[in-house]
Amino acid sequence: MYDVIVLGAGPAGANAALEAADNGLKTLLLDEQKVAGGQVWRAKSKSILKAPSTEASEKGDELRTKINQSAIEVKFNSRVWHIEKQDDDTWLMASDAEQLTAKALIIATGSQERIIPTQGWTLPGVIGLGGATVLFKEHMMVPGRRTVVAGNGPLVFLVASEIIRLKGTVAAVVSLNNRIDWLKALPSMLSNPSLAWQGFKWIFKLYKMRVPVFWQHGINKIEGKEKVEGVTVIKVDHNWHKSDQAEQYIPAESVCYGHGLMPAIEATRLAGADHHYDELLGGWVPTIDKYGRTSVSNLYACGDNAGILGVSVAPMRGRMAALAVLEDLTGKKHNKKDLKIFDKAKKIGLAATALSIPRSGLQSFITKDTEVCRCECISRREIEHEIKTGALSPNAVKSGTRCGMGPCGGRYCSESLALITQHISKKTRSEIGLSTARSPLRPVALDDISNEIDYDKLPIPGVSPL
Amino acid sequence: MIERSVEISFEFDGKNYPAFDGETIAAALLRSNVLNIRNAPSGSPRGIFCVMGACQECVVEIDGIKVEACRTSVADGLIIKRAHDV
Amino acid sequence: MNVIFDIAVIGGGNMGCGAAIRLAEGGMRTIILEQGDIGQGASGVNAGTLSLQIKRVKLMPYAIKGHEEWQNMGAEVGFHKTGGYTLAFNDREAELLYERMTLKKEAGANISFVSDKELIEKEPALARKVVAASYCGDDGYANSLLSGQYYRKKIKQSGISFLEKFKVIQIRENSDGFEISSGGQTVVAKRLLLACGGWMKDIAAMIGADLPINARINTVSVTERAPRLLNSIIGHATGLLTMKQKENGTVLIGGGWQGKGTPEQGRGNVSLETLIPNLQLAKFALPKLSKIRIVRSWTGFEANVPDFYPLAGRLANKENVFVLGCVRGGYTIGPYISKLMGDYILGRQPEMPLFDPSRDFK
Repeated sequence: MYDVIVLGAGPAGANAALEAADNGLKTLLLDEQKVAGGQVWRAKSKSILKAPSTEASEKGDELRTKINQSAIEVKFNSRVWHIEKQDDDTWLMASDAEQLTAKALIIATGSQERIIPTQGWTLPGVIGLGGATVLFKEHMMVPGRRTVVAGNGPLVFLVASEIIRLKGTVAAVVSLNNRIDWLKALPSMLSNPSLAWQGFKWIFKLYKMRVPVFWQHGINKIEGKEKVEGVTVIKVDHNWHKSDQAEQYIPAESVCYGHGLMPAIEATRLAGADHHYDELLGGWVPTIDKYGRTSVSNLYACGDNAGILGVSVAPMRGRMAALAVLEDLTGKKHNKKDLKIFDKAKKIGLAATALSIPRSGLQSFITKDTEVCRCECISRREIEHEIKTGALSPNAVKSGTRCGMGPCGGRYCSESLALITQHISKKTRSEIGLSTARSPLRPVALDDISNEIDYDKLPIPGVSPL
Repeated sequence: MIERSVEISFEFDGKNYPAFDGETIAAALLRSNVLNIRNAPSGSPRGIFCVMGACQECVVEIDGIKVEACRTSVADGLIIKRAHDV
Repeated sequence: MNVIFDIAVIGGGNMGCGAAIRLAEGGMRTIILEQGDIGQGASGVNAGTLSLQIKRVKLMPYAIKGHEEWQNMGAEVGFHKTGGYTLAFNDREAELLYERMTLKKEAGANISFVSDKELIEKEPALARKVVAASYCGDDGYANSLLSGQYYRKKIKQSGISFLEKFKVIQIRENSDGFEISSGGQTVVAKRLLLACGGWMKDIAAMIGADLPINARINTVSVTERAPRLLNSIIGHATGLLTMKQKENGTVLIGGGWQGKGTPEQGRGNVSLETLIPNLQLAKFALPKLSKIRIVRSWTGFEANVPDFYPLAGRLANKENVFVLGCVRGGYTIGPYISKLMGDYILGRQPEMPLFDPSRDFK
């Protein structure tokens, strides 16, 4: 039995584990990746022997060194697929066939990308903006020979500039945000000059390289038969609804696109925490106090999964959650000075999120025939039919259409489903709600769950009444 | 300069491809410009999408088990099959 | 609201909707009050097994009628008559199988015992460890996911009013009948039919009735799409395993293993302690499942009373309050017994006897 298990070894989770272990708590840090760092400080693949360092690689190496020097027990390549509160108020988790228990559980699963469909979004060659950053950081490779980068939020410009750094070609940048959106975000970013400077450096670099930038535009269609061959872009209105202006065709071999980050809340939901919808924090978030305590005893959340605030505050959020665990388990009070710094840093994170908040017009990109649920191949037409015949909750639509019932567990369609429901029913996101959270958190093969069994030792309870 | 590990070779869907030892199947396939990794139940072609083990689009079959190409390392001589549903 | 309904049905599952449709056909002005979505409670999350082999002897005539109802509902509820095998893996189970299936056969189910050879021929993917097996050609399954879609359409066609997300918090009796309140809204009806499954005990308590209802919390899992492994539905002599492979290739695994939670707390949770043996048992019976991935495990409440027979009738001392539910195997019997219940409330003679909710359960 551990004092605390931290799920997710990104900047927030790893720092939570460091703080907990430094304070003498028996700590286990788990991550599905091969090493610590999360998405933002993702380590290079073992296949890269030497490469120029970047800020992310330096920060990541520093973190990994600290973890190695600490008393933290680590378990990587570990996929927790089940979380359960036991009767004695402790936590039970399953990672493959292994069962782990802890008095407290800190969830630091980070973010997940929001990607709203457009025609052709299922074609090979289309990847998420977050996915593109994995290619850069882990593999130091670009997504294709000629890439269109599209969507909203700061990631669009980061991805485009990284492609150029890695000697790829950006065919065009298609930004739903306009220049004014960026200028509006500027004041709050100025309190952290390096971040603001970075954003503008990205944009400047693109102009210098004469990359066409389409402000206030979206991808109307990704063209191609077996893979991406090009895109058509279209001007959008203020709500990001497609305009009726003429489209422009851009030949391309790959497309990176996305619509900002959302908290990855599957784990906190499975653990039973209350959640609420907060647009500014990226969508549905666990309801927490300043330290990350959720509505469930001995359950804490920190990092982007507790609201998208970015990497600048993540380590601090991790440490605060660990201090809350320390206080709750041992009664040790801690220094609350951190909170003020946190409030300040939080503003910067919120400004970046502001560029990422999806607007209602985005739903206009999802045409009737577009497959909204990639796993089960369910089109907008089928979903709309279900909603219009009275299925007003995600559970009901899912049940009737299979939208969200495939292997990804609805991670890449639940947001679109909510947008479509909202468009038809005019309900708020809170009213629409979420579908029920269930295990496993990721698909898991039966052989990975359990070893061979001795049939006669199966705990078979009494037979059913005759 | 980027220095990569030794080149190895693996099989996907009956054909041989090169890879750098230690990288993921997804990265190796992408480098060889193999974008179409599987077909969805509707038949539509699919490739690497989220690159972080969540979307399940890049699943391939190794020893009969479906694994995500984006989080599974290649190995020399590894035989990878295209994942088939029904 | 100044409309006074002839009857308010609390619970929009298969039982409540089925009865409501009968009542509306009989001329009653009917409203369904559902705390969640239509057909999304136990009706929408159970494993969909329609097997006479797992039905209780005394309920067999109702189950046979139930199968007919499902067959008539057909494709709209994803009905498939596949036939089903029940397996025994050791002598003790074989004895149990023989004893039980013989009684069920006598009760009218079309059950036979099958040879090893026949089983292997029909279901080659099953483990070659089966000691004895029985078969029923009438067995099959329906897709419980479609319950909501199906009944929402049917109750609309029948002109039945319904309110979803209507969580009853108070019921008051007055001269008109009953005032049913969700906090925000109030509905008035002359009669009440409680058909709210695992939530029945609490609702009955609101009108002063104490029903000895317990809720079982059954676990079901589903795999990703897999190559064809099964043609028929599979059961286990102890009742602790059901398996079926749907048309899309996914395999549903059930068997009544108990999760955690109570109806008051929500939809319940899967428990590792029971999920793992449930899956191990499935893998034991169907070894090829080993390499297939589970994509979702969930729970649903199954209400029961100490004698494990239905509650279907009028509450003692409550002229206008009726109860329907708590059937072991309620999914199978639901569409039929709800019709009987409708008839009873309409003052007609039901085709088969009902189950007095005020009986002595000992």
